Amino acid sequence: MAKFWKQFLSGIVITNPLFVLALGLCPALAVSVTVTNGIGMSLATAFVLLGSAIVVSSIKNFVPNIVRIPIFIVVIASFVTIADLTLKAFIPTLADSLGIFLPLIVVNCIIMGRAEAFGSKHPVHLAIADALGAAVGFAIAMIIISFLREVLGTGQLAFKVVPYFDIHLFTLPVLGTDPMALFILPPGAFLLIGLLLALFRRLGVLKSE
Amino acid sequence: MKDKLGQYYPILALTVVVFISIAVLSGMDSFTRDTIQYQKELKIQRMLNQLFREMSAYDFDESTEIYTITADDTKIGYAFLGVGVGYGGNIDIVVGLENKTTLRGIAVIAHAETPGLGDKILLPDFTDKFVGLDISEVNLTRDGGKVDAITGATISSRAVVDGVRNAAMEKAEFLPD
Repeated sequence: MAKFWKQFLSGIVITNPLFVLALGLCPALAVSVTVTNGIGMSLATAFVLLGSAIVVSSIKNFVPNIVRIPIFIVVIASFVTIADLTLKAFIPTLADSLGIFLPLIVVNCIIMGRAEAFGSKHPVHLAIADALGAAVGFAIAMIIISFLREVLGTGQLAFKVVPYFDIHLFTLPVLGTDPMALFILPPGAFLLIGLLLALFRRLGVLKSE
Repeated sequence: MKDKLGQYYPILALTVVVFISIAVLSGMDSFTRDTIQYQKELKIQRMLNQLFREMSAYDFDESTEIYTITADDTKIGYAFLGVGVGYGGNIDIVVGLENKTTLRGIAVIAHAETPGLGDKILLPDFTDKFVGLDISEVNLTRDGGKVDAITGATISSRAVVDGVRNAAMEKAEFLPD
């Protein structure tokens, strides 16, 4: 059990997929415009990570080495399609705002990376710990980035999941009328992610000392 | 079994995985297909409702791609999709007509314009200017029409105006006088 928690925590802090390994930057940049999107993307990614980790580590003894990558991709693509169809059927507004980046989770390097580097070499319970750690680490990073982008870029915070379920949390006094639209645009995302990466690197250095 | 099959084992393994995946996904597809179809129709209905609040039913003609809107069994207008080429890509617009030449209104349903500038094409300040216009008047003021461009977003404004006018002219021949 100690091993389980160690593996789980390492995914959040030491090998945080976004802030430390800098994996999965493409969906992080493209989708993190609102907190709703950030959470939606994190949940979809978590589902695919967990599902593929369980399947990959359970079938690892039957998978011939030379076709392991195609097999892992088929497994991952199946889970992505399941997530895609489910969101389209039951939360269509979220599926619309994630758009093409939902099916593109297939090529998100976090998932393939964890399956290849960890899931295919470890027992199922550790693979689950690793997947959960990476998923939570990714979710925390996504929520931080999308929170900053939404608040700075639009001056307000709102959750729009389905029509008629619209929670408007707050509008900032000055930013609300005159938001810094840069942060909604890709350059703003690059700037923010760069600063956050630097911050995490600094924290990591402090910790190791 | 691995040794017996030898060099064919990888092919077999991959085939088995692919077939399992196909089975799971076809199950998933038949489970969600109806709901996805229903959501799509709901989306169209909501989109048409934006322009025709009193709408009670609509009818879609596959060949002309025109929605005919009815309220209590009387025809109240037509709607169809138009596309304008904006600053950040295509802008999808739903165009509502009261009759062959008079606009009921427009709504932008998908776009990739610059936030804070071009995305003002979504606001009623801009879209309300189309209400009641004749198709021939749908042009920017500077081009001889009756729609004022959004300050700082002429390309986006022109894309919407062009998209609406082109779609309306293209569909005009299918509409009764």
